[in-house]
Amino acid sequence: MSTCSKCKSFFAVPADADDYAEGKGDCVREEKDEKGKFWLSKPVMENGTCEFFKEKN
Amino acid sequence: MEQAKSIEYKGKVIDFPYEKPEEKDIPLEHLHQKMANPSTGRTKRIKDRLRYKHTAVGEFCEEGIRGGMERMRYYTEAYKASEGQPEVIRRALSVANILNKCTVLMQEDEFIVGYNAENPNFVPLYPELSHFTVMDYMQSKYSPQPVEEAQEIVDFWSKNSLLARGMGYYTQEELLRQFIFTTMEAPAFASGFNSIVPPYETVQEDGLLKRIELAEAHIKEAIEQLAAPYWVASERMPLFDKIDVWRSMIIIDKAVIAWARRYSRLCKILAENFEADPKRKEELLEMADINHRIPAEPCKGLKDGMQAKWYTYLMCHAIERYASGYAQKEDKLLWPLYKASVIDKTFQPMTHQQAVELFELERLKVSEHGAGKARLFREVFPGSNDLFILAVGGTNGDNSDGCNDCTDAILQAAINIRTPEPSIVFRWHPKGRLKTKRLVFECIRDGMGFPSIMHDVKGTNQLIYLSKFSKTGNGVTPEEAHDWANVLCMSPGHVGRRKSQKVRTEGAGTIYVAKTFEITLNNGFDWSYANIQSGPETGKLTDLKTFEDLWEAFRQQYLYAIDMVNRGKDLSRHLEIRFMQMPFVSSIDDGCMELGMDANELSEQPNPWTNSIGGIVTVNSLVAMKKLIYDDKKYTLEQLDEALHSNWVGFEEMHKDFLNAPKFGNDDEYADAIAKRYYEEICAGEMKKIFNYSGGPMMPVGQAVGTNVEMGSRTGPTPDGRFGGEAHDDGGISPYYGTDKKGPTAVLRSVAKINSEGQKANLLNQRLSQPQMRSKHGFNIWLAYMNTWFDLDIDHVQFNVVSTEEMKDAQREPEKHGDLIVRIAGYSARFVDINTYQQNTIISRTEQDFGAEDLEYLGVDL
Ligand code: SF4
Repeated sequence: MSTCSKCKSFFAVPADADDYAEGKGDCVREEKDEKGKFWLSKPVMENGTCEFFKEKN
Repeated sequence: MEQAKSIEYKGKVIDFPYEKPEEKDIPLEHLHQKMANPSTGRTKRIKDRLRYKHTAVGEFCEEGIRGGMERMRYYTEAYKASEGQPEVIRRALSVANILNKCTVLMQEDEFIVGYNAENPNFVPLYPELSHFTVMDYMQSKYSPQPVEEAQEIVDFWSKNSLLARGMGYYTQEELLRQFIFTTMEAPAFASGFNSIVPPYETVQEDGLLKRIELAEAHIKEAIEQLAAPYWVASERMPLFDKIDVWRSMIIIDKAVIAWARRYSRLCKILAENFEADPKRKEELLEMADINHRIPAEPCKGLKDGMQAKWYTYLMCHAIERYASGYAQKEDKLLWPLYKASVIDKTFQPMTHQQAVELFELERLKVSEHGAGKARLFREVFPGSNDLFILAVGGTNGDNSDGCNDCTDAILQAAINIRTPEPSIVFRWHPKGRLKTKRLVFECIRDGMGFPSIMHDVKGTNQLIYLSKFSKTGNGVTPEEAHDWANVLCMSPGHVGRRKSQKVRTEGAGTIYVAKTFEITLNNGFDWSYANIQSGPETGKLTDLKTFEDLWEAFRQQYLYAIDMVNRGKDLSRHLEIRFMQMPFVSSIDDGCMELGMDANELSEQPNPWTNSIGGIVTVNSLVAMKKLIYDDKKYTLEQLDEALHSNWVGFEEMHKDFLNAPKFGNDDEYADAIAKRYYEEICAGEMKKIFNYSGGPMMPVGQAVGTNVEMGSRTGPTPDGRFGGEAHDDGGISPYYGTDKKGPTAVLRSVAKINSEGQKANLLNQRLSQPQMRSKHGFNIWLAYMNTWFDLDIDHVQFNVVSTEEMKDAQREPEKHGDLIVRIAGYSARFVDINTYQQNTIISRTEQDFGAEDLEYLGVDL
């Protein structure tokens, strides 16, 4: 299954974080346009998924 | 470039060679493009790729900007889910939901982090303030996506927004008169446009964890008080509301800490997974540390201070609700941290030059900030993304010089990086050190249009005067009165841990005086634009047989407009107190924390003002009518009526006479006496009879921002010789474009005749000769001008030092002039970002040369 937990962009929220919840992670993706690169971080749950899924190495 | 013409002065011929001799070889039209000198490769790179969100004529100047969805979505989701809870708690939960669920993001090379939307090209929207604004975005290419979701959100807020709640208190006729935006600004609730002076100090000095502790302690104490023997309702009933306010503070402060720590995690993830450059990796880890500690803990170094300030700015101006401005006394606020890092090197050690880079980074961060403003507010501030004005200089509480090395770093950064934002106000005092004044001059000489200058003593005294009206008896002390910045472009307001202005319904809101005068000539009817009765019936023009009849009719129209605007402001505040609480702002204000009161409600230091824009067109019109009709009887009222309704067409000779009538700004007794009477008797005189929510007497602020063009286009022909649709004066007390013909000191003498005590602030725009200012005598002349200005008790002045040749070249080839900056009226903008109409008003301002008489008056030694 292409779920967030298996995705390259998924980084589990550490247990001591203020916003920790079981299965919660930061989805961090790099984007680029004519003005340069930027990175977006969105809260996601490990069983979620989306069109940008990329398998972890 | 040609140097300024030599003059004979005190028996000598004075030449004006360039201070930097190499400038004589630079083509005049390319001067400013060569001036930027970012202090590092990083600030240069960021400047080259800036995502400007400047607007003009209601449109964003760059492609790809869009209204964001996340703020609306998460705010609305939590607001609906919290139904039944106290309103202040709902506000806190709704804003906290944004912070918990929003996308956080970072761009290449950034050091100061934090955004207000989910994409660097997006601006946030505020349906809870005005669903009309969201609808406007939806009907444009900036529409938030998906549109269906945006529509659902609009449908919900169409019954619950501040706008929806405000309309019921007006008649249809009154609503039309205000919403048409001609003689007066629409009621404050229509857009929710706000201004605020955030108490940055508490975040910097305490950190939010301490603020949470304070709120918890207050709740504990209140609960103990409720349970103590002998119930006394009058003492204890208020505690229920206070407990809710303190709870809301805790909710929001915890959310802000968690939000900042998501940025911290992002920095760490980028360092460990995305970044190859070891130096940047190290910096990202340092940023991860800063954003973990800040704003939770007190700041220990300058980098901490900059990051804490930016988070606080975002919360107060962009996330909890929208508010314009960048009010802070930055060199005082950051001085302890500058000292720790640059002088004592106790934390985040750095050199002065590295501090300068940090201020350049701040300017860049501000420059690409975007505000989800309504269309009208995108029209009236052409060339800007929003209004950003910070203050430096002045005096400290013990009356010592407020300038320090941090002031110099802020000014140096502005000179280096050449961005129009943020604009700077320099508080002028004779004690101000020369080294800093020299940097102020260099900024101005290099054409930035800032710092604008405010009279330090007048500003401080004004705060002391207004403190007498404090409802709580706790206005500023004489010592605290020295701590002030401009709330927006012009009006002084206290800065500090408490007592600062939190809402625009306290100060601001606008009446357009030239339009008000135009309808006075038509029995209150707006024939040239809206075709409605815009004010009371005060008599047909032909019935205003004497100048006093005219004066009285105008006074009544003026009073009607200022009453309406202030009623709208206080009604909006009434609604803000009940529905638009600001838990975050309240949590960082010592007064709100102590008293358990929301920041909309608590008023300790009154700061009442109403913008009164277009006064000089009115003054010049009154002068022309008095001279040509009432005194000389050269023309009749019937002829004037006909000429104006024909836009002067067919009345060319008459037009010439009205155009050539005496004009304000030439030290002309006839014209200046009417100006004095208008500003003192009507503008300040009528205004001070109005008292607002805070208990203070209303004061006028004269400034145009960019409305001179927008509102000029809605104003028909006027007796000063203006054609219908032509721009108004550029605000406040500035002579009309090109009509100040007697030199720069004649302007000062005209302005000085008006008692500035009654005005909260009055904008004076002056355009100075570029070759003289760039000559080896430039600083001496300017310094003497400034000292005279101070002695004449004038409260404000700002400058353009840009040649007509360069501006015309930029109109021909805008792509070659990205760094050409001009002063509009209260803020600066890139010349290429403003519309041609506005550009032309700047070109048409008189370029003041200092002649021998001026130099004599100023007492300059050359
Ligand atoms: S949301 Fe998409 S890109 Fe992000 S972690 Fe999940 S699958 Fe990957």
